[in-house]
Amino acid sequence: MTSRRGRSNPTPVTVVTASLVVAAVCVLPLLVVAVKAFDIGWGPAWDLLWRPRVGELLRNTASLVVLTVSLTTGLGIAAAWLVERTSLPGAKFWRVLMVCPLAVPAFVNSYAWVTVRPDLQGLGGAVLVTTLSYFPFVFLPVAAVLRGLDQSLEDSARSLGLGPWRSFFRAVLPQLRPAALGGMLLVSLHLLSEFGVLAMLRFPTFTTAILEQFQVAFSNSAGSLLAVVLIALCLGLLTAELLLRGTIRHARLGRGAARRALPARLGLWTAPALIGMGALTVLALGVPLGSLVYWFRAGSGGLTESAFDPAELVTTLWGTLRLALIAGVVTVVAAFPVAWLIARRRTWLSVLVERATYVASSLPGVVIALALVTLSVRYARPVYQTSVVLVAAYAILFIPRAMVSIRAAMAHAPEELTEAARALGDGPFRAFVRVLVPLTAPGALAGFAMVFIATSTELTATLLLAPTGTQTLATAFWSASESIDYAGAAPYAAALVLVSAPLTYLLLRRPDEEPAL
Amino acid sequence: MTTLRISGVAASYDGRPVLHGLDLVVPSGTTSAILGASGCGKTTLLRVVAGFQPADEGIVQLGDRTVAGPGVWVAPEKRGIGYVAQEGNLFPHLSVGANVSYGLPRHARRAGERVGELLELVGLSPDLAARRPDQLSGGQQQRVALARALARRPTVVLLDEPFSSLDAGLRSSTREAVAQALAHEDVTVVLVTHDQAEALSFADQVAIMHDGRFSQVGAPSEVYSTPADRHAAAFLGDAVFLRGTADVGEGPDGADGAVVNTALGRLVVHQPAPAGTVDVLIRPEQILLRDMAPGIPCAEVLSTTYFGHDALVALRLQADHTVVTARVNGSDVPHTGSIVGLSVVGEARAFEHQG
Amino acid sequence: MIRRRTALLALATTATLALTACGGGGSLEAGKSLDPDKLTIYSAQHENLTQAWAKKFQEDTGVKVQIRYGSDSSMGAQIVQEGAKSPADVFLTENSPAMTTVQNAGLLAKVDEATIAQVGKDYAPSTHEWVGIAARSTVLVYNPSKITEAELPKSIMDLQDPKWKGKWGAAAGGADFQAIVSAILETQGEAKTATWLKGLKDGAQIYQNNIAVMKAVNAGQVPVGIMYHYYWYRDQALSKVGSKNTKLLYFRHQDPGAFVSISGGAVLKSSKQGANAQKFLAYVTSKAGQNVLATSDAKEYAVGNGVPSDKALEPLDTLEAPDVDPFKLNGPKVIELMTAAGIL
Repeated sequence: MTSRRGRSNPTPVTVVTASLVVAAVCVLPLLVVAVKAFDIGWGPAWDLLWRPRVGELLRNTASLVVLTVSLTTGLGIAAAWLVERTSLPGAKFWRVLMVCPLAVPAFVNSYAWVTVRPDLQGLGGAVLVTTLSYFPFVFLPVAAVLRGLDQSLEDSARSLGLGPWRSFFRAVLPQLRPAALGGMLLVSLHLLSEFGVLAMLRFPTFTTAILEQFQVAFSNSAGSLLAVVLIALCLGLLTAELLLRGTIRHARLGRGAARRALPARLGLWTAPALIGMGALTVLALGVPLGSLVYWFRAGSGGLTESAFDPAELVTTLWGTLRLALIAGVVTVVAAFPVAWLIARRRTWLSVLVERATYVASSLPGVVIALALVTLSVRYARPVYQTSVVLVAAYAILFIPRAMVSIRAAMAHAPEELTEAARALGDGPFRAFVRVLVPLTAPGALAGFAMVFIATSTELTATLLLAPTGTQTLATAFWSASESIDYAGAAPYAAALVLVSAPLTYLLLRRPDEEPAL
Repeated sequence: MTTLRISGVAASYDGRPVLHGLDLVVPSGTTSAILGASGCGKTTLLRVVAGFQPADEGIVQLGDRTVAGPGVWVAPEKRGIGYVAQEGNLFPHLSVGANVSYGLPRHARRAGERVGELLELVGLSPDLAARRPDQLSGGQQQRVALARALARRPTVVLLDEPFSSLDAGLRSSTREAVAQALAHEDVTVVLVTHDQAEALSFADQVAIMHDGRFSQVGAPSEVYSTPADRHAAAFLGDAVFLRGTADVGEGPDGADGAVVNTALGRLVVHQPAPAGTVDVLIRPEQILLRDMAPGIPCAEVLSTTYFGHDALVALRLQADHTVVTARVNGSDVPHTGSIVGLSVVGEARAFEHQG
Repeated sequence: MIRRRTALLALATTATLALTACGGGGSLEAGKSLDPDKLTIYSAQHENLTQAWAKKFQEDTGVKVQIRYGSDSSMGAQIVQEGAKSPADVFLTENSPAMTTVQNAGLLAKVDEATIAQVGKDYAPSTHEWVGIAARSTVLVYNPSKITEAELPKSIMDLQDPKWKGKWGAAAGGADFQAIVSAILETQGEAKTATWLKGLKDGAQIYQNNIAVMKAVNAGQVPVGIMYHYYWYRDQALSKVGSKNTKLLYFRHQDPGAFVSISGGAVLKSSKQGANAQKFLAYVTSKAGQNVLATSDAKEYAVGNGVPSDKALEPLDTLEAPDVDPFKLNGPKVIELMTAAGIL
C-alpha cells in the first residue's frame, strides 16, 4: 500500500496494519456493548431505557458534572492565575502543591473524607470530594497557557483603554478557553467514569448503576443499556468540546520572542490569597494524608477487625506492579504505530485511527470491562478470566497517555533522520532500532510511566476482570473499605498514594506539554 | 565512476503530479545543479533518485544499474548514494564522530577508522569528533553531514539545498569547502538549489526546472546568456524586457546580423531570433550610463539602490517612458533626477512578443 | 545524551522485566487460564469461611483448590452464560435464588445421596441437585439511643409506611437483599411486593452492603436497618467496632422479615473433576465441615445433622420463620420487580 499524501513516501504496511488492529481493538468494546444491549429486542430495550431509574441516574450524573465542572474550573483558573501571574510568595512551591492531589486516587480521597465527616454523602459530598480530586485537571493546562502568555496582549488592551480587570477578562481569559475547555472535558469524563467515590458516598450515577447491574446479573442487557447511555454521554461531551473549541487558534501573530509577563502585585490581597491557597491545600491534600495517619494509628491501636497481614500487602503490591509493568509495555508498544502514523502521515485514515483510540479510552472502565467480559465469555474462551483480558482493558483505557508522549517525542525524530539512516545503508528495521528507538525513548518511557501509574490505581475494570485469585492494591483497598474496615484499608491506601506520587513529577516535568490523563 | 541517467521520470507529491517526464544525464565525475523556485519539483526528483519516493513512470540508472523503473525499485540503502539534506539531519543522539561513521560496518565503527580523515576532508578539525551535533555551527553541521555521506564512498552524491539554511557569510565558505571535498573524492554530484548564483558557480551543468519540467539544460554561461525562455531568463538573474521590432541590417557597432529597434536604440540579438514585434531581454549590467550626446537614448534617474560593490539604477527612458534597470559600479552612482545617456553592450535576446 | 541513554536503558530493562513477568509463575500469568488441574470453586460465600473450608479440605485430601469470589446473582448469571464450558467445578452461594437459577438452566449435577443425607431433610431440594451448607436469618438492627423498643416495627412490611421515610437502612443493591425480597414475593404476592419495594425506593437509605448498614445504625446515622444476623454476631465476637451501640430484633411470627435463607453448594455438570467436587461438598456438609462453620467467626447457622450452631446465636428453631419453600424462590422475577421499582 502506498500512501501518496504527506511527504509522499510509501507508508510501511506494517505500521498501517498495526494501527488498524489497535484501533479495531479499541472500538470493539463499543460495538459489543451496543449489540449486547439490544439483543433482548427493541421493545424491551426501549422499556428498560425509558424508566424513571434512568431519568434519576441522568439527573444525578448531570448535576454532578455541572456542579463539579463549574467548581473545578473556577478553582483551577483562580489558582493558576495566582501561581503564574501574581506576586504570590512561593509560587513554585504552590505550583507543585496544586498538582499533588492527582497523586491521591479519588476513591482514596473519599475514604479520607468519610473518615473526617462520616455523615458525608449524596450530591454535596460527591461534589466536594470530586472537586478537590479533579481541580488540578483544569489547573495544569491553564497554568501552562498563563505561563507562556505574551504580556504584550494585555499591554495592548490596556493601551486601548481597558482597566486591569477588564483587560484580564477581555484579553487574557479568551486565550485560556482552549486549555480550560480541555481541562473541563477531562474532569467531565473522569466524573462519568467515577465509581469508588460515588459508591462510597452513596450517590448513584450510571457507572455505579452499571456495576450494580453486574453484581446482580453479570453481563446483561439492562447493564449494557445503561452503558450505551453512558457512551452517548461521553460522545456528546467530546463533540461539545470540539464544537466549543472550534477552529480558534491563539497563537501569537508576528515574530519575535514572547515577552514574559510582569506579575500582578497582590499588595493587600497577599494574605487572603495565601490563606485561600493554604485552605485548598489542606482540603485537597491535608485531609487524605491526615486520615491515612489517623487510620494507621487506629490500626496499630487494635481498632481494625481483621489483623493486618504485611505479607499480603507485599504480595498484592508485587502483583499490582507486575500487572502494571505488563500493561505499560503492551500499551506503549500498541501506541507506537498509531503515534507514528499520526505524527508522520496526517491523513483522514490516521486521524480516524487516533480518534478511535481516544473515544474508547474516554469511556468508563466499567463499560470497557463489561464489553470484554461479554466478548471473552462468548468468543475468546482461552483468554476468559485471564490477565490477557485485563491487560487489554488497561491498554484500551490508557493508550492515549502513552500516545501523547510518544507523539511529542516523534517531533525530535523527524522522518528525515530515518531517511538519512536509510541513505547510509540501514534497512527499515535497522534504521528504526538505531534512530527512532533511541530518539523516542524518553517519550516512550514517560508514556510507560503514565500508563503504569494509571494501571496500578485502576479500580472498576479490575473489579470486573481480575483473574481468579488476583487482587490489586485498588481492589484490596476497595474490599476492605467496602466492609467499612477503614483501618484495614489504610496500608493499601498509602501504597496507592506512594505508587501515584511520581505522577506529580511527570506532570510538572514538561509543564508546557499537554498531558493526557 | 558512475553516470546518473534519468529518463522520462514522472512522480507525484501529495497526490498530484509534480514531475512530468524528466530527462537528465549527469556524466560521471561532474556536477549538475537543478535550479528552480520552491515547489517546482526539484526536491521530489532528488528523492526519487535517492529512493525515498517511488516514480510513477520512467527510469533512473546509476552507471549501468537500473535502480528505479518499471517493476524495479532498489531500496535507498542499497543504491550506494550519498545524500545531504537541507538541515544536515545529523543524528542528535550521536556524537559527531558516531555520525560520520554511522554508515560504516560495525568493526570500522568500533575502530573509529576514517573519522578524522573525513572531517579533515571537509575542512574540519578531527577534534570535533567528540562533540555533539548541537554544539556545532550550521556550516559545520553541513560539512559533517557531507563527511558522513562520503564515508561509505558513494559514487553519486545528492545535495538537497545544503547551503540554504546558512547565513550569507557561512554559505560561501561552506560551499567552498564542500566543493573542494567533492572534487577530491571525484564523485558524480547533483545539487538542488533555488539560488541561481550558487547553481552557476558550483556546477558544470545547470538544469532549470519549471513546473516539473526542465526548461533548459546546459553549461552555466550558456544558460545565463542565452536563456531558452522568458521564465529561465528572469530566474537566472535581473532582467530588463523591452518591446522591439525585428529588422535585418547593420547593428550599432557596425556588425551584421539580426537587429531589433527598441527605445534603447538598435540592438544586436542572438540568432536565431523571431521576426516582427518581439520582447527583448537585456541584463542590467549590459546597460552603460554615459554622458548625454545627440543621437543616443537618454533617461531620467528615478531612484538608486546601493549595494556597496555595485548599485541598481531605475531609469525612465525619455523616448517612451519605459522604466529599465541598469547595474553600475558602486563608486559611480548618479544623482536621482539627473538625465543620463545610455548604451547597450553585448548581444540581447529576443523572444516572441506576449500580449 | 545522558538522559536519552538512561531512558533507553530504563526502557530496555522495563521490557525485559515485563517479559519475565509474563513468563514467571504465579496467578498473574498472562495467557494462562485457571489451572485446570485444580478444583475450581466459584464462591459467593464469605471469603474467610470459603477459605477455611478449602484449606482444611486441601490438607485432608491433597486436592488443590482455587477460588473465584463474587456475589450470588452475578456468579449465578455468570455460570449460566459460561454454560457447558464453565471453568467452575463447585458453586457455593449465600442464598438459594441464584442456585435455583443455575439449576433451572440445567447445569447442575446430582449431589451424592450420602452428602444429602448429612444435612436435615429441609436443607436440600427434591431434585437433589444442590445441598444446603449453612443458613442465615433476616434481622432488624437498631440503635437504642435513636429509637425505643416500643417504636420498632412489628413486621418488615411496616417499613413501607411513610412514617419510616429516611429512618431505615438496607443494602438493597446487594444479592443478599434479593433473597429477602424473594421471600416477601413468595409470602405476599407480586402486587404487595411491588408496593413494598416502592416504599423501599422512597423511604430507605441505601447502603453498599450489610456491614455498611450495620455501621450506619451503629453510628446513629439511621435508627434501624435490615440485614442478616451473622454480621452482628461476628462483630460482637471480634472488635465490636461496628455494633457496640446496636441491638437485634427478630420479627418472628412467620413474618417475611423472619425469613431464614439457605446457602447452597452444588457440583457443575460440566465439571471434569466431578469426583473431587462431590468430595468437597461431602466435606463441607460433614460434621468436620459444619463444625468449622459453627466454631469459626462465620456465625452462620450449621445445617448438618447433629451439629449444634454457635451457642451465642438465637436457636434456629425459635425464629418462627415464614413457611417459604427456599427451593422455589424466584430470582429473576425479583430482579425484574426491583428494576421496575427503580432500585436497580
